[in-house]
Amino acid sequence: MKHWRQVVLYLTTAGIEACWLYALLAIINDRGAGGQLSVPGLLLLYPTAFFLNVLSLWLGWHALLRNIIHATVGAVALLLTIKFQLFSSLPMSDPAWLRALPQALGGIFYSFSPELWILAASGLVWWLGRRLAQTCVTFTIAVAEFQFGLFFLLILFFFVATFEVKLSNAVPLALVFFLFSLVGISIAHAEEGENWLSRLSQGYWLPLLFVTIGVILVLGLLIGSLLTPDFIQTIANAIVWVWNFLWDLFIRLMLFIARFFPEPEPFEMPDTSPPQPQDELGGFKIEELFPEWLRGAIRLGWSVLMISILVFALWRMFSQIFAWMRRRFGGRAEAEYESMPGAFKADFLGFLKRLFYRILGLKLVRWQKKVEAPEISSIRQIYRQLLSWAATQGYPRLAFQTPYEYLYRLEAALPESREPLEFITQSYVSARYGRYAPSEVELDQLKESWHQVKQNRLAPPPGESAK
Amino acid sequence: MAEVITNVDVRRVGEAAEKILNNIGKVIVGKRDVIRLVLVALLSEGHLFIEDVPGIGKTMLAKATASSLGAAFKRVQFTPDLLPSDVTGIYYFNQKTSEFEYRPGPIMANIVLADEINRATPRTQSCLLEAMQERQVTVDIKTIPLPRPFLVIATQNPIELEGTFPLPEAQLDRFLLKLKLGYPTEDEEGMILQRFQEENPLDNLKAVVEAAELLELQKLCRKVHVSESVRSYIVNITQATRSHAGVKLGASPRASLSLYLATQSLAAIEGRHYVIPDDVKALATPVLTHRLIVKAETGLRGQTTESIVADVLSHVPVPVEEKS
Repeated sequence: MKHWRQVVLYLTTAGIEACWLYALLAIINDRGAGGQLSVPGLLLLYPTAFFLNVLSLWLGWHALLRNIIHATVGAVALLLTIKFQLFSSLPMSDPAWLRALPQALGGIFYSFSPELWILAASGLVWWLGRRLAQTCVTFTIAVAEFQFGLFFLLILFFFVATFEVKLSNAVPLALVFFLFSLVGISIAHAEEGENWLSRLSQGYWLPLLFVTIGVILVLGLLIGSLLTPDFIQTIANAIVWVWNFLWDLFIRLMLFIARFFPEPEPFEMPDTSPPQPQDELGGFKIEELFPEWLRGAIRLGWSVLMISILVFALWRMFSQIFAWMRRRFGGRAEAEYESMPGAFKADFLGFLKRLFYRILGLKLVRWQKKVEAPEISSIRQIYRQLLSWAATQGYPRLAFQTPYEYLYRLEAALPESREPLEFITQSYVSARYGRYAPSEVELDQLKESWHQVKQNRLAPPPGESAK
Repeated sequence: MAEVITNVDVRRVGEAAEKILNNIGKVIVGKRDVIRLVLVALLSEGHLFIEDVPGIGKTMLAKATASSLGAAFKRVQFTPDLLPSDVTGIYYFNQKTSEFEYRPGPIMANIVLADEINRATPRTQSCLLEAMQERQVTVDIKTIPLPRPFLVIATQNPIELEGTFPLPEAQLDRFLLKLKLGYPTEDEEGMILQRFQEENPLDNLKAVVEAAELLELQKLCRKVHVSESVRSYIVNITQATRSHAGVKLGASPRASLSLYLATQSLAAIEGRHYVIPDDVKALATPVLTHRLIVKAETGLRGQTTESIVADVLSHVPVPVEEKS
């Protein structure tokens, strides 16, 4: 892969994440911090974490040293963020802000204070920046980023609309998000040799990229000019009118049915209310049982639990919808689809797992050793695509077949692709069982081999050809 | 975390294995797959059980292996009147020194050929149990360690059953691999005649790897990486033998360990620093078949331990990606 294309891919991925991050931070600022935070200031942590990690990887530092430096720089960055966000009026040389800092941080256990939001937001932004540096952006990653970002933006916009949060630039944000997503996906797809950018006009790649951007912007403007607030209001009024009409009908129907039932005899309910505990305990209040900090922690835990349940419910709902779509469209040979785990589950669970280990400080070193290199993930992804592709053509891998046993079957069905098939299988086996992370050149060769294989079609299975 | 074998070490194991393979190949015509399994046993420090009809080359294979290693080799012809002390050695009273002295038996060698092991009584067969598992023998009240590397190659003729004593399960379980040489092909048989026309090539066979080097190679093989998924695959296979409908007694945990060690050695011989499921499949039959006891009705249906292992392998899922 050419170096500058990889840079563009990283930029687009960063752009996608920055869009939903911006929306999230704006909501937090409006609802949690009372407008005290500077969202662009918080977003600055993202490139800082990214470049620090890229630099440490480039210099080939040991993982432990890398973690120590990240923790140190992260803590300093957090400190500076709090300083500039909350104590901007005080000069740096004034130690008053440093003295006020412990008290400010101590308050995070009692309420949803701006300090708490700064801590949470900074941690998230820092982690995302570092994560991006450790990710090899492929087509799959680009699609997953788009899917997750879209899903998350929709939730955020729903939140904005429901609770009337101030987010003035939602439309440009959505447009920019789509712009980055489409450009990123196009480039990643072009690298894997599957779209018009690579197939028809490889030599005019850059002009075509600008054309794509132009087309997207023009389309965005057109849609923006057509979808005026009045037009949307008219549609909304129509929907409300239809809904009221249907509800009215339903109520009338219920009243009509209710007429056929006899009316119940009125009777007095006995007083079953429990005696007031205050009287018995001499005015003792339940709040006095727990200190304020504990109640704050319980409130926080309760909120996290509720949000987790909500996210889990949404995830289950969308996974069901995606599963249905996969069943529906998965049978088509040309169809490419991304599974729900690829879009959301892996990232989310990975984040929770890491957070858990960070908090408890358990098995961190062991877990880090188990983290799979992004190159290995890419190989496994390509092999999964090969399995899906062959399965749709009547050559599913049987559960007891090893990769090499399966290779013999595929070679028999596709003798002209013997070499690329062998190369893919060999790469997969060494990555899967030998933890071998290939170089960038090898990864490119692998993509090229996969591209070659996809150009052909497998011979029909023996049973089918006989028919 | 376990130490990982380097590429240089893998090459070293592969080259040594190739040398031994070629050297044994000067005596044994063809049968490279069987010789490769012998190498697996050597590198895993496991014992070999060769079952086949007479005249196939079982003893020749054992001798050629010993000669290739430059290791001390002893042969014991197992007969019904053989006593344990004939194998382990005895303490005798030396009248000159007026002390009891140990006279080592043939077990005190690097490679011991237990020829026609099923002809000895169970008592004598059992004297090998301690030697094979713990690499030591206890004579009278004294325990004597055996030289390393230590490898027992036992042979058995499956045809003659009169005057034989079947090996107990505990004994069979101590053999890493069970091999069958099989008859040579027409070309191979012709080549055997040609090769042995003037002299026995075994007489001129020279050692290509020293016993001390073999010990180092064994240690290197233990560093071959086995991923968690492959490890689980090995366990799943042995567990599946225990729940198989046709099996009375399935493979033991020692069988799992044997399969694990053997796959590491095979991977190193193949020039890989990691084990793949193909290694497990290739070794499942020689490692597991002699450890299973089939039900009587299963045997009557014509099923053998080989067919049961094949059945298990065709049902246990291999750890590979699921399609996306």
